[in-house]
Amino acid sequence: MAGASPLERIWPVIALWALLLVIVALAELFGGGILNRVVTDALVKVVVVVGLYIFVGNSGVMSFGSISFMAIGAYASVWQTCCPKLKPINMSGLPDFLRYNTFDLFPSAVSSVVFATILAAIIGFPIMRLSGIAASIATFAVLAIVNVVYGNWDRVTLGTNSVVGIPRYVDMWVALGCAAITIAAAYAYQCSRSGRSLRAARQDEVAAKAVGVNVPRERLIAWTISAAFIGLGGVLYAHNIGVITINNFYLDMTFITLAMLVIGGMKSLAGAVIGVVALATLQELLRQVELGFVVGGLSIKSPPGVQEVVIGIVMLLILVLRPGGLTGGREFSWPSPKRRPRS
Amino acid sequence: MILDVERLEVRYGRLPAVRDISINVAAGEIVCVVGPNGAGKSTTMLAIAGELTPSRGRLLFEGGPLAGRSSEDTARLGISLVPEGRRIFGTLTVEENLRVASYIRRDRDAAAKDLESLLDRFPILKERFRSPAGRLSGGEQQILAIARGMLTRPKLMLVDEPSLGLAPKNVDLVYELLRSLREAGMTLLIVEQNLDRVMDVADRVYVMRDGRVQLSGTVVALKGSAELEAAYFGFDRGAA
Amino acid sequence: MITLLQNFIDAVSLGSLYALTALGVGLLFGVLRLINFAHANFITIGAYAIIVPSTNAIATLYIGAWHWAVMSTAVVVIVVALAVVTEFIVFRPLRRADPPTLLVASFALAYALQYITLLIYDGRPKAVDIGSNLAEQVMVGELRIPKLEILTIAVTLALIVSLALFLKRTRYGIQIRAAAEDFRMARLLGVRANTVIAVAFALSGVLAAAVSLLFLARTGMLAPRMGLPLVLIAFVATVIGGMGSLVGAAVGGFVVGFASVVLQVVLPVEIRQFRDAFVYLLVIAILLWRPAGLIQVRAITERV
Repeated sequence: MAGASPLERIWPVIALWALLLVIVALAELFGGGILNRVVTDALVKVVVVVGLYIFVGNSGVMSFGSISFMAIGAYASVWQTCCPKLKPINMSGLPDFLRYNTFDLFPSAVSSVVFATILAAIIGFPIMRLSGIAASIATFAVLAIVNVVYGNWDRVTLGTNSVVGIPRYVDMWVALGCAAITIAAAYAYQCSRSGRSLRAARQDEVAAKAVGVNVPRERLIAWTISAAFIGLGGVLYAHNIGVITINNFYLDMTFITLAMLVIGGMKSLAGAVIGVVALATLQELLRQVELGFVVGGLSIKSPPGVQEVVIGIVMLLILVLRPGGLTGGREFSWPSPKRRPRS
Repeated sequence: MILDVERLEVRYGRLPAVRDISINVAAGEIVCVVGPNGAGKSTTMLAIAGELTPSRGRLLFEGGPLAGRSSEDTARLGISLVPEGRRIFGTLTVEENLRVASYIRRDRDAAAKDLESLLDRFPILKERFRSPAGRLSGGEQQILAIARGMLTRPKLMLVDEPSLGLAPKNVDLVYELLRSLREAGMTLLIVEQNLDRVMDVADRVYVMRDGRVQLSGTVVALKGSAELEAAYFGFDRGAA
Repeated sequence: MITLLQNFIDAVSLGSLYALTALGVGLLFGVLRLINFAHANFITIGAYAIIVPSTNAIATLYIGAWHWAVMSTAVVVIVVALAVVTEFIVFRPLRRADPPTLLVASFALAYALQYITLLIYDGRPKAVDIGSNLAEQVMVGELRIPKLEILTIAVTLALIVSLALFLKRTRYGIQIRAAAEDFRMARLLGVRANTVIAVAFALSGVLAAAVSLLFLARTGMLAPRMGLPLVLIAFVATVIGGMGSLVGAAVGGFVVGFASVVLQVVLPVEIRQFRDAFVYLLVIAILLWRPAGLIQVRAITERV
């Protein structure tokens, strides 16, 4: 891409920004409260899924543990910002400075992300030395550990009970801003030296090692950056919905975010974003069917659970029929016919 | 002809490894394909055995088309590949390695008899019958690999680089075995880098370079000829 | 001394369940390089199979009311059929996919199957009463051993021995082992990939069915995710055992079983609820010490 103009170089990011901006603008103009909610939820998912993509897409290693950092970020922010009256009573295990104080929203968000990032670096250090499949399983152990710890640490997390009354400051525009930053960061990483080395190692680990790529180190870098944004996604999630429980951040969330990545195409940033848009749309449609609708005087309603079954089947179909996902691993390229997209 | 390869082309992705190869083998013959590394010899073998799908050309076995058949099916038709690097099952015993090969046969009694006679010929296999094949030496593993290939009772045996990575003593052993197979009426297509070895056992040779046949002929006609060396080393393309 | 022995038997019986699950998972990993999340659903659906399908809160036994031998056979048949059908519908079209894709596919399959179970039977846990007589204890000297633990250990032993014999002595067993080591070479010798894989799925179905019943007898409760914790432990067991080694999977299962019981005993009461977290930490520790697992196998690369 040596001779490309600056605009051309950052085009994949601009195109995705534009796509999201159009969606938000349309929702703002024509949508009601419900559509706003749906779009905000989807934008939070963009942060998480693009975060996930930073590790999975570049390294080719599946992670089933990344959603843990969503939980870690969310709870860290909740401890700092939520429930000044209840905290001293029912979160008695918190250190005093958290138990008796409430902090501003923005510094809390930042410190929560930093907390998730540091934990990710520590946890990732041993795991990233494992081979691909073993690493995937080990990330699963991470998910399980975080779930067990947060799910049982009643005096700090309220166990599996919901934490309610979290300040809700995340609207569509906040979520859009964060999604835009995440997309830019993901693209910057994939164009960086570390990102390119990791992508080379994904293609051919032996060859990459031969030219001096330190695969565990590059994986750890990607893993840590990835966890930072997933942690941010967790913070946004908590302050968007206003209620969390640890089971929000377990297998179903892991599945949905991975499904978004795979359906969009896990080898490209565009795939991560498109996957969220496509699957969020499908989910919303199925939710409407679940609520029931009327066609020609006939009321149609599907039982709860159909949504998940359909999504599972859609994902299997994509894997069989279009293993590269909807984007086939391509980025949005500069609209000129002569340049071939790089994967 | 038992095997006819006509204008074969095989690609790895976009890269052609075999560009245009025509080879034939008659029943009872030993045909050798020689050529330097990267000439496309092993690729040709894998395509015949059904491991790779050709992008162009025809493969005929006993007059019937092979293209599109899986390696499972070509094995059943009577083609047995003894691959490069031997690929014996290291965690299985010698016995189990041989059994895996005999399962495609219907004639169980004859298979048992074949096994007996193989073991008589190679006492080493009998000796190590119940120990893991991974503990055999390289030469012993090569013999096991060939014995395993024979137990499927093929009509055509493809042997890929049988001398690769073996001590000279073991190479002698392996070629002795191949020669005896020929005396027993087996048809063989052997790929080899070692030109001298080949000239001792083969009826005919093909010389391959860069995915193409450069020269072919009977051993009698080619032995010691300058043409052969030129084709093999690629000194002078005009000679082919 | 008595409590020590008591704990030892608990550990063996818990380890047995883990080992059986790990063997089912390890078998498919060996042959296909597939980490099968849907194994959890095989276990769950095997357990649900004994009741009348309905969303009622009260479970009515159907197959579960039959004679135990007939019931067990029926459950085995159902789970084996499920395993073979999923192979045919989902994994056969993915025969050429790489391991990460297979992993995600099995995750998607597991998700779909879990919600299908939920649609049919409802998500609330249901109490069922099978093998309540197994709760009785047998006295050996001063030792009290629940019959269920004896049964669990005996069934596990019998299944491991039969599986070993099958893999060592039979035609399909030897083909499975050959394919697990070098699938392409096995096919070059005429081994049918589809047959071998279907047999491997069927075997993992048998193992899952056994776990269904033993686990259900232990908990007395049906839930749409009941198989999941076992399978997560089994994944971990196969990793610490050394991926691709069946002996390793079984050993890993018992190691995790022992670790759980030991932790249960030695952990102070106030952190005992975090036991499983310590089990998973142990896994990461073992991997740090031996990245290739306890039982190392040759390079795991090529597949079909």
